[in-house]
Amino acid sequence: MTDFVGEPAIVLAGVRKSYGRTLAVRNLSLEIPRGELFAFLGPNGAGKTTTIKMIVGLLRPDEGYVAVCGHAIGSNGVAAKARLAYVPDQPFIYDKLTGREFLYFVAEMFGITTQQRDRKLNTLIRRLDIGEFLDHLTESYSHGMKQKVVLAAALLHEPVVLVIDEPMVGLDPRTVRSVKNLFTEHTRGGGTIFMSTHTLEIAETLADRIGIIHRGELIALGTLDQLKTQAQREHSLEDVFLQLTEASDE
Amino acid sequence: MSETPALDGIGAKLGLLLSVRGRIVTNRIAQAVHDAPVRLAAAVVLIGLIWVGLYGLFRLVFLQLSRTPLEATVAIPLVFNFFFVAMLALLTFSNAIIAYGALFGKSESPYLLTLPIAPLDVVTFKYLECLVLSSWSLVLLGLPMMFAMAATSEEPMFYLFFLAFFLAFIPIPGAIGLLLAWGVARFFPRRATRAVTLLTALALVVVIVTALRSIQLGETATEVWLRAFLTRMSFVQSALLPNNWVAAGIDNAIHGQFPVSFRYLGVTLANAFFLSWLGVRIVSGYFDGAYDRASSSRGGGRRPAAEASGGPAGWVFFYLPLPLRLIAAKDLRTFFRDPAQWSQLTILFGLLVLYLTNMPTLRMEFSASGWFLFIPFLNLCAVSLILATFTCRFVFPLVSLEGQKLWLMGVLPLARGRVLLAKFAFSMTVTVLVAVGAMSLAAFMLNLDMVWTAIHLVVTMAICFGLCGFSVGIGARLPMFGQSNVARIASGLGGTTNLLASVALVAIVLTGVGLATWQSRYLAANTLPDARSLMLCAVAALVAIAAGVLALWVGARHFNRVEV
Repeated sequence: MTDFVGEPAIVLAGVRKSYGRTLAVRNLSLEIPRGELFAFLGPNGAGKTTTIKMIVGLLRPDEGYVAVCGHAIGSNGVAAKARLAYVPDQPFIYDKLTGREFLYFVAEMFGITTQQRDRKLNTLIRRLDIGEFLDHLTESYSHGMKQKVVLAAALLHEPVVLVIDEPMVGLDPRTVRSVKNLFTEHTRGGGTIFMSTHTLEIAETLADRIGIIHRGELIALGTLDQLKTQAQREHSLEDVFLQLTEASDE
Repeated sequence: MSETPALDGIGAKLGLLLSVRGRIVTNRIAQAVHDAPVRLAAAVVLIGLIWVGLYGLFRLVFLQLSRTPLEATVAIPLVFNFFFVAMLALLTFSNAIIAYGALFGKSESPYLLTLPIAPLDVVTFKYLECLVLSSWSLVLLGLPMMFAMAATSEEPMFYLFFLAFFLAFIPIPGAIGLLLAWGVARFFPRRATRAVTLLTALALVVVIVTALRSIQLGETATEVWLRAFLTRMSFVQSALLPNNWVAAGIDNAIHGQFPVSFRYLGVTLANAFFLSWLGVRIVSGYFDGAYDRASSSRGGGRRPAAEASGGPAGWVFFYLPLPLRLIAAKDLRTFFRDPAQWSQLTILFGLLVLYLTNMPTLRMEFSASGWFLFIPFLNLCAVSLILATFTCRFVFPLVSLEGQKLWLMGVLPLARGRVLLAKFAFSMTVTVLVAVGAMSLAAFMLNLDMVWTAIHLVVTMAICFGLCGFSVGIGARLPMFGQSNVARIASGLGGTTNLLASVALVAIVLTGVGLATWQSRYLAANTLPDARSLMLCAVAALVAIAAGVLALWVGARHFNRVEV
């Protein structure tokens, strides 16, 4: 199988997506290199989730091109998906499987050997503190517990690209710290994270670059310092975010 | 990082998906055995009873036919032909509905689409799942028929053929249903669920109208009627239809003509494989696009907002005090915005209206022989049973569905018992409007006299009261809070209890009215029945009302104390 090691992890080129008459994403072009944690911000209904769904292959762009590690998500979806993991805001787990059975399923789906699986799983169980409930049916889990198991499933096969929609919702402070550390380690190891969030503090402390989408349009892109310069604000990301989205409205 | 993860070929992941589904089923059974052994045992016993009942019924039919070998030679292939043509239509549409939910729904499909699995594997997996889910009715009905047939047949090898024909037949409607579901998602994505529902309803209407037209012959002489009926229905014996291959194959197996039977089995199998291959290939080849169109069109766009207590939904409940009217109007709006709910009500009562509008042709000579009350009584039975189905399926889950929003009800300036009252008023209004409408239409079509029309309408309203009281009361006493799937709520412990109680109530009330009808069978039209008959009807109605009140009281007591 051909692999494109030199290619950016994620490429969106001239992407447009509409729902009937509503234009959700317009002419979005973005390249996320390997080893970067990219935070994707925007008000509700700005087009964040639509963009994410196009990256992971759940929606097709009306126009434009989306690729993961050099593999077009439309024409070579299986190869692209083999390199990515997706954690949605409403995680899906099979109700009648235990957490461990679900993780075994994911491991086998991505072709991980039993040894690799057990080694990685032991680490994740410890880091995410999921050992206590992993052998119970997932239908008995709280939202936070499900979120932890889905995060473990996403990291289990060591994907090149991790796409996450609101990663910290429902997690306790200790787990939030663990997840932050796991994300940092993931990008240091050459992995890429595309994260959509409303928690600006996380974006501020973790992100290498930040993109702000508003009414389907990318209105700002760069490091935190670059955004501050663009917004002519020297304060927090919250100020920058509010300034840029308000300016875009005007 | 896994830069070059191992990718298996197409088909490799299908086994994994199937094994996970197997694990889910195993866990589900283990959980049922552990958590609710009585419920599981009751379900097994009930299925066993249904099988035994069907076996007895089919055995009687086949024994009767075997006493007249000449008629049996003609009738048995026809019985199979009609059975399988009905199954062809039903399985096609049930497969279409199940396949749409499985492939384009919001739960598992989006997850599978983010995994490195070829669309061919996903579609094949979902197709196999749909075949199992939709064909259980064929197995439920077919196996007792097979055993009954075998018990009256002299050819033991027939068993194997019967089973083989069943299995070979199932994929044919399955593949057609799969293609229908995909077509709706691909070409009518805006209102996909509504389109599937309307197509189903339309097809059912066509089938029923065709069937009824074949009965409306204006002749009552049996031989002429039968000849004309068979001529009209000769299309079901077309050599191009799969029901005909299956019927002919089974008939030949019964008579020991195995080479001919093998030929028909080969034809059925070849078509089943071809259609399955075609369906899965087409759907998987264009699956991404269809999924994109279906999921991009959810939500239905803007809706004009009426005042909470106003608009048509509010006007229907004009007689309720404001807080109750708000809840009832909210339930009515929710009901009509969920096609799965209103479409089933429409189909149930649409079929009933079709049946009722054909009453005069079915009436034949009952009126002349003093049996003028017989058909109206059967109509009452049909309406009551449909009402019981509706209340168990749609009214019972209402309270459970509030579970996730019970905090909202809890903070409203409204006693919890009144929430139940609002649910009761909502269901009572809908059922009375529909059931009284249907019974009035039936009375009009049959020229039923005023006295019996009034009796039937009062009993109908009492049955509505009792059934709605049961569904709301038992729904509050044995709720399934936290569950948002209506079908699962209706089939749980509370739902099963409600179903049994509702059927028992209908049986008790109809026994009373049936006895009164029997006593009055020779009475002239427009004359008051005797006191005993009137008393029987009145007691039947009162029993229904008292049962409803009791259930509501028990439910309200529990609901006031419940903590979520």
